Order: sequence, then C-alpha cells, then structure tokens
Amino acid sequence: MALGADRFGSRVDTLLFLGCLALSVAALSLPPSWRDPIAAGLRQTVLAPLLGLQLRSEALQAWRGRFAAVRAERDSAALAASFLPELRNENARLRELLGLAQRLSWGYVAAEVLHQAEPTDPVTLLVSAGRAARVEPLAAVVSPEGLVGVVSSVDAGTSVVLSWAHPDFRASAMAADGSVYGIVAPAGAAGPRAWLLELRGVPYRQTVPEGTLILTSGRGGVLPRGIPIGRVIGVGGQAEGWETTYLVRPAVHPAAVSHVLLLSSQWTAGDTRPGFRPDARGPTP
Amino acid sequence: MRRAPRYAFFGLFVVLVVLHFTVRPRLGDDRLAPDLLLLALLLYSIRSQPGPSAAAGFVVGLLRDALAPASFGAGALAHTLVAYLGAWGKVVFFAENLLVSGWLLFAGTWLRNLVVILASGQLQGAALWWELGYYSTVQSLTTAAVGVVLLWPLGRWLAFRSGDA
Repeated sequence: MALGADRFGSRVDTLLFLGCLALSVAALSLPPSWRDPIAAGLRQTVLAPLLGLQLRSEALQAWRGRFAAVRAERDSAALAASFLPELRNENARLRELLGLAQRLSWGYVAAEVLHQAEPTDPVTLLVSAGRAARVEPLAAVVSPEGLVGVVSSVDAGTSVVLSWAHPDFRASAMAADGSVYGIVAPAGAAGPRAWLLELRGVPYRQTVPEGTLILTSGRGGVLPRGIPIGRVIGVGGQAEGWETTYLVRPAVHPAAVSHVLLLSSQWTAGDTRPGFRPDARGPTP
Repeated sequence: MRRAPRYAFFGLFVVLVVLHFTVRPRLGDDRLAPDLLLLALLLYSIRSQPGPSAAAGFVVGLLRDALAPASFGAGALAHTLVAYLGAWGKVVFFAENLLVSGWLLFAGTWLRNLVVILASGQLQGAALWWELGYYSTVQSLTTAAVGVVLLWPLGRWLAFRSGDA
C-alpha cells in the first residue's frame, strides 16, 4: 500500500535527519586522536562478529584454493612417482631458483586483507591480524611484489593499514643500486598520475633511468631497507632547477592484494632485500 | 499475498548483512560487486519513515567508516542522506513498482559513492570520473539487480510500513 505524503515526514523525522547530518559532519571533522579510538571501539565490539564472519569466509576460500592446489599436486605427484629421482632434482632446482629457503622466514605476521565496498577502500586497508598477533603500529606491510603500506592503528584482532595511496603516506627511498635517495609519496588523486607514486628530492645533477627499481632506504627508522616500492617510468617534474621528481609505477596495487605480511619491528634496522630477490643469500636483519 | 510480519523483513536484513560479509568477498572485484549492506539499508528505508531511515543510515554509515577510516564520517553522511532520500523517494514516486524500486536502488548506490568520494576528498579529476563513471555505475547496477531479484518474488510479501507488525 502506498504511503500518503500528507502523513509522511513529520517534524520529528526532519529533526532526526538534521541531527544525523550534524553528527556526520562532526565525525568528518574529528581529529585522528579522537577518530581512531572510536573506530577501533566499533571494530572490537559491534563489528567484531561480522569481521569474524568475513575472516572465516576469506579463510574458507583460501582453504578451498589450497585444497585444489594440493589435489593437483597430489595428482602430479602420483604421475611423477615413477620418476622420483627426477622429481627430487626438479624440486631442489625449483627451491634454489625461488630461494624459498632463504626468503623471509621469521619476523612477520601473515594476514588477510578484508576489502570493503567503499570507493576509498584502497587508501586504507583492514587486515586480519592485530595486537593478539603482536602487530605494532608503523609496521611495514608487504606483499611478495613489494610495499603495500604501513600499519596505522592496531586493534585486538585487526589492524588498519595506511596504503601508499594515502595522501599522508611517505617513505624514504633509494634506487636499487643505492646511487640515488629521495622521498616517495603519492603522485596525487587527480589526472593521469592517479595511482602513481613520486620519487621526490632527487638532486638535479643525478638522473634515474627509466625502469630503475626503487626500494625503501631504511632511513627514518620506520620502514626496513630494501622493500620494492616500484619502478621509475619517467620524469614527473623539476623544482627551481635543483630538484627532479620522478614518477614511479608501484610494485603492487592495494586493491589487488588479498594476503600481506606485516613485518615486526625487528626488521626496522634490517635489510629485507634478500627476501624479495630470488638470487639472494638470505635476510640480514 | 499475505504480508509478512515485521520480523520477516528484519530476518531478510540480517541475511543480507551476513551475506555481505561472507559471500560478497567471493564475488570478484570489491568495487563492482553488489553492496548488500547498502541494499539492506535501502530496502529498509523505502519502507520506513524518513527519520528512522536517516538514523539507520547514520548507524550503518558510521559502522562502515570504522572499517575504512580514511574517510571517517563520510560514510555516515552519505548513508544518512541516501536513506533519508530513499524514504522520500518511495513516496514521491510509485510506491511499489518494481522498476521504480530498482531505479531507486541504483540511484541510491551511485549517490552514496558520490557523497563518500566528495566528502572524503580522496579522489579528484580523472580518477573521480573513472570511479563514478565505471566502478560506481557497475556497482550500482549489480546492487540494483540483486535488489530487483529479491523484490520480484518477495516485494509484495515484504511490503509494510514502519509501525505495521
């Protein structure tokens, strides 16, 4: 039955609407020191069961994927069982090639990314590890491809990650050969440079060739040294003739990440380059 | 068809919320998959008074802001507006027409994304237009499609005013 407009929308409705609008605007203008505890409180109370459901769903999906992979491997293994020596040799060769034994083997927490439907989801990510897993604020968040962001706040079971796309994100960076240092920041949210990074503060006399791999430098004491950030794709601009800015294509897009590693503070003074390089000898924290 | 009591709708609301956190993550790109939480809110708002709808929108928006703190408050503002307008939209237009309901769901989702983007200030220029023109439009379409599929068999059964029980 249709509702009559004459009976619809009383003064109480209008006041309620205006009150909610006022509260929304107030929430928008809250400083981070007020905003973060409120958000954390909501996540740990009302949203905790729902996030638990999402986490279980993500885990179930991962388990199904692993089950399919294990089944495929089992079939392959059964087929190759008659060629066991060759299988052993191939296994050893692949391990050596991938450097699995030498890659990051400690000092991290694995977590799943709990993507949300909001358009701003790639700017801040919610991940499924928190204080209970000894995640710390400002911990580096990485995927196998490179840097995703840093932990912004930590709850009991979840953490908020400030991705590299966030306007406040900054990282001390260097070229892979250590010849150039600078600061990496988002290139902006508008225009063709959206979802790109900028390498700022490079002296004018130094040039960075296209394709150069940019890593975290470890300066500043927040991010460990050696995490891939992206590759240089060109010159972004020059300031006053003494500084050049380079555009960097990020190694990983936050929206495409499903699982991440949160590095512990033990890595802050370490060098993670071996963990991201297949030909590496091993991490040296 | 006999109308369902109020708790039937809230049962559907709970089911949509649970599906949002369990099934939706498996539906591919998060920016394109139907927003079942917003769908539940819109289904509630187009059957309720504007005031309670706005309050429900504020609560849902604030909870979503807690999950994406980059734009804390923007979600609350957007969901409040959309829920309030959704309650009015159902009265201004044809009350129980399936196509109108689908259109309201599409417009509500798109408007929510527009307000979130503008209020948060995270996207500008070409990125904003790409977000609104492609991702938001497709997400609005998928959300409206799920809503229409739900309302087709259940719409008349679920139709009630806030206050009916």
